Amino acid sequence: MKKKMFSKIMSVLSAMTIGISLTACGSEPTASDSDTVKVGLLHSLTGSMAISEKSVRDAEVLAIEEINSAGGVLGKQIKYVEEDGASEPSTFATKAEKLIDSEKVATIFGCWTSSSRKAVKPIVEDYNALLWYPVQYEGMESSKNIIYTGAAPNQQIVPAIEYLIEQGYTKFFLLGSDYVFPRTANMIINAQLKNAGLEVVGEEYADMDQTDFSAIISKIESAKPEVIINTLNGTGNVSFFKQMSEKNYTSDDYMTMSFSIAEEEVATIGANILQGHLVSWNYYQTTETDKNTAFVDAYKAKYGNDRVTSDPAEAAYDAVYLWKEACEKANSFEVGDVVSAIEKGDISFDAPEGTVTINGENHHLSKPVRIGEVGTDGLIHEIYATEAVEPDPYLTTYDWAVSAGIQPLE
Amino acid sequence: MKQLVKKQGSNICFAVIVILIALMPVLMNSGLISTSMVLFLGKCIAFAVVAIGLDLIWGYTGILSLGHGLYFALGGYCMAMYLKLQETGGKITDFMQIGGLDELPLIWRPFQYLPLTLIMIVAVPAVLAFVIGYFIFKTRVKGVYFSIISQALTWAAYSIFIALSPYTNGNVGITEIKTIFGKIKGESNQGNLFLLFYVALIILVLIYSLAKFLVGRKFGKLLIAIRDGENRTYFSGYKVSNYKTFIYVLSAVFAGIAGAVFVNFNGSITPSQMTISYSITMIIWVAVGGRGTIIGAVIGAFLINLCEYNLSSGSMVEIWQYIIGAVFCITILFFKGGIIGIVKEQIPAFIRRQKNSRTHTEVKQS
Amino acid sequence: MEQFVNTLFNGISLSSIILLTSIGLAITFGLMRVINMAHGEFIMIGAYMTYVVQEIFYRFVPSGFQDIYYFIAIPVAFLVTFMLGSLMEKFVISRLYGREIDSLLATWGISLILQQTARSIFGTQGVNVNAPSFLKGGITIGGCTFSYNRLFIILMVALCLFCVWFIMYKSNFGKQMRAVMQNRTMAQCMGINSRRVDNITFSIGSGLAGIAGCSIALLGSIDSTVGQSYIVNSFMAVVLGGVGKLLGTVIGSVIIGSASIFTENYTSSTIAKAIVLLIVIIFLQKRPQGLFVIKSRNLDE
Repeated sequence: MKKKMFSKIMSVLSAMTIGISLTACGSEPTASDSDTVKVGLLHSLTGSMAISEKSVRDAEVLAIEEINSAGGVLGKQIKYVEEDGASEPSTFATKAEKLIDSEKVATIFGCWTSSSRKAVKPIVEDYNALLWYPVQYEGMESSKNIIYTGAAPNQQIVPAIEYLIEQGYTKFFLLGSDYVFPRTANMIINAQLKNAGLEVVGEEYADMDQTDFSAIISKIESAKPEVIINTLNGTGNVSFFKQMSEKNYTSDDYMTMSFSIAEEEVATIGANILQGHLVSWNYYQTTETDKNTAFVDAYKAKYGNDRVTSDPAEAAYDAVYLWKEACEKANSFEVGDVVSAIEKGDISFDAPEGTVTINGENHHLSKPVRIGEVGTDGLIHEIYATEAVEPDPYLTTYDWAVSAGIQPLE
Repeated sequence: MKQLVKKQGSNICFAVIVILIALMPVLMNSGLISTSMVLFLGKCIAFAVVAIGLDLIWGYTGILSLGHGLYFALGGYCMAMYLKLQETGGKITDFMQIGGLDELPLIWRPFQYLPLTLIMIVAVPAVLAFVIGYFIFKTRVKGVYFSIISQALTWAAYSIFIALSPYTNGNVGITEIKTIFGKIKGESNQGNLFLLFYVALIILVLIYSLAKFLVGRKFGKLLIAIRDGENRTYFSGYKVSNYKTFIYVLSAVFAGIAGAVFVNFNGSITPSQMTISYSITMIIWVAVGGRGTIIGAVIGAFLINLCEYNLSSGSMVEIWQYIIGAVFCITILFFKGGIIGIVKEQIPAFIRRQKNSRTHTEVKQS
Repeated sequence: MEQFVNTLFNGISLSSIILLTSIGLAITFGLMRVINMAHGEFIMIGAYMTYVVQEIFYRFVPSGFQDIYYFIAIPVAFLVTFMLGSLMEKFVISRLYGREIDSLLATWGISLILQQTARSIFGTQGVNVNAPSFLKGGITIGGCTFSYNRLFIILMVALCLFCVWFIMYKSNFGKQMRAVMQNRTMAQCMGINSRRVDNITFSIGSGLAGIAGCSIALLGSIDSTVGQSYIVNSFMAVVLGGVGKLLGTVIGSVIIGSASIFTENYTSSTIAKAIVLLIVIIFLQKRPQGLFVIKSRNLDE
């Protein structure tokens, strides 16, 4: 009897699952109302990249809600449709297509890794859609259909190296995760250091999910660099710094300059381990602007006091506001109109990091560069800053880059 | 009629699925179905092809490969390399330049030509699977040991693909490619989309027929014999390892073809297609659809992917992970035959029991 | 010389970590023939438990005594994963004895659920565990730094190994366990409750994963996917060593660990990973049963 009951329940359950899925498959997206405008958010909510992408997604939602409560864009409320990229480029591509073609979103805010962006790029180009990409990246790209609100290499990497050279560092060690951003970044850094006549004493790439860094640390020990240029991504940073600290190394022994460590990562690695190390970004939670105080307060009020804001989150927040600005300038949500408004080159936003303007030619932002030092309080404090730097994703204005052959293929 | 349904049930079911899918592009013109949905169905066709291959080795022969993503990706890479060279006109690509190469590397050369590419799509997975299969099955490694070794192999291959980034573009993989028939997106290119879609569908039909043909005869019975009693089959005088190697190679070829189809619809291929978790996802399709039935693999591939497509968004993301985990677990625990098993065995058995208990009570009452 | 000692220590240290993550597997896989794909997730749970205990201590315990959290965390992690393992054995594994491949797949489903549960509870972002102050830093002898952390892990492995050895070969329960694994029917005839033995054996294996989680919490990031980065190496260590022998797993771990460190000295870590795995696979061609074989006349062993 018991067994019969059980199988009965099971078959009902399974029938339900199938039923639900079939109805879900059949459901067509409803047409958007006249007083709302749909946008898509496309980030990894599961898988290994969810660690980083959640905060970016949160910042975008915050900006959307702020805009909505202030009256929306062109009198319309923003409604966001969220898709999970599952840390897999092909899923990103599939979901981007779904957002654009089935959901008919006006624009997409999304992606984090270069591989996900590169998978989405042909799709937004084919459909003539618009993607706002909020993360600093390796450059060497510009697309009519993508707006890059993070830093181009000349707004993060190049000035950071210049700063280190000015400080008198002469022996560099390049350490990165084995993927496209670190490899391209190190190619640029190599060219830059060669031009300055300085020495790169080692270049190492760690596996993406490497957990043991002792062999790499030994290589660093025998190369005896003065400074380590760190382009490790995600969890690699945590393992690397924890394992450096267990060998008693601090920033006095080996200074590091990191390009992927923001406030979030400092929290997971531990401020006591990272204190004194250098990072290069365009924005820190401690950046002193009026807009930033409001942004940090709003972020903490919405997501909890223990959350921190970071450069990618801020860039994502800017992206939403810049899109609003562009739509209002164009007086339309059509991608063609919005892009031509952007290409006039006067879309700007008074962002937490300072005023940012979209460069009409290469679709990147002009933004200030800030070198920061990790403090004992777990926050990053600015020690050097520049005025807004014009974006130059292909580094064509740098002679050493051109002569080293770093330039677009076409 | 009843006899026909019983005997040809799975084939009829397959025919219905194929007809339904074939109608989709037509519906697209009337605006009922979006282009993205059609493209997604195209990917599902590829998934169904690889699922058939997996069903052959797992459902029929009892070899659980946790590394079929590798063959899928290899086929995909072969196709993508050809398409990329079409894009660059045979010149070297940007990532090779960044990687410090001056001229087209040797392994890329064959992919300048379509016929060679098509051969490679079949040959590369076949040769690799043969080497692996031959050595592993010869030493009579079986069961979970094979699964663990295949998993480690996939991991190693994944690392190699990432480490050789000047040749493979590392994690980013090969992107920004058109399809084998040129551009398919946009109104003016709809003909190409139709062509591609129906070619993919024909490939699915062919592979399904081939699989059905193989399992329908003595060979199929032998595979089941190997699954259920490898030693007995061996002592009956059959060279078990040869059969295993053959079926393993065949399923690798299916996976390679599927990968090549997939690339056309997806527009890129990355090493994440050869991860262990991606390979196990493929197993989930077969398990939920119903192992050892071929049609179950097809149903599972379509059903799970369509559900994932529709459900893994917004607030459903978290719940979806629970659902897929639970469905998989429950299928393995209670419904070994998957959906097909439920339809073919559990439901009839249930009805029979209902009938029996009714007649029982009737008897009692009278 | 300095270089050599350093490499040696790194090798031993990595081996000990692999060993710690694979002892549990050696028990569940080696003795029970259950492939627990959720083993990595048990490691993750152990790591998260360390974090939870740490947070509780930071909140409720005066600052002078906070460091002892780690000693509380180890048994907590063990108990939690022990209980989870017991539940999992009861509701899932026990239905799948004799269906090795199916148990592999079902536990994969569970690992998906556990990963998502971790994300739902702790958020997608990683959490930080501070090493207790007596494990921070290291001792420097003649140019080589031996970190306390790693020495502690080596000690812990030794302790775990001893406990497992003691339970398996010296205790009454161990006798029952080995009896059930060797000949279930006969053991049952002798009045051994084989269901109970299965359950406890599996739970011990899972509990050891929890302890492994405690140690790796000090070395790297703690997030929902952390278990996945350890699982392949652990499986390979068990298979290489030969299933069913504790000593085999020890040697398997040492080979994989030191080979990784050694190859990494000459090439990049990605390539090193691939090379080591390929070598192990090729070796398994020569000896499919692994290094240590339990002699048996059974055809299917």
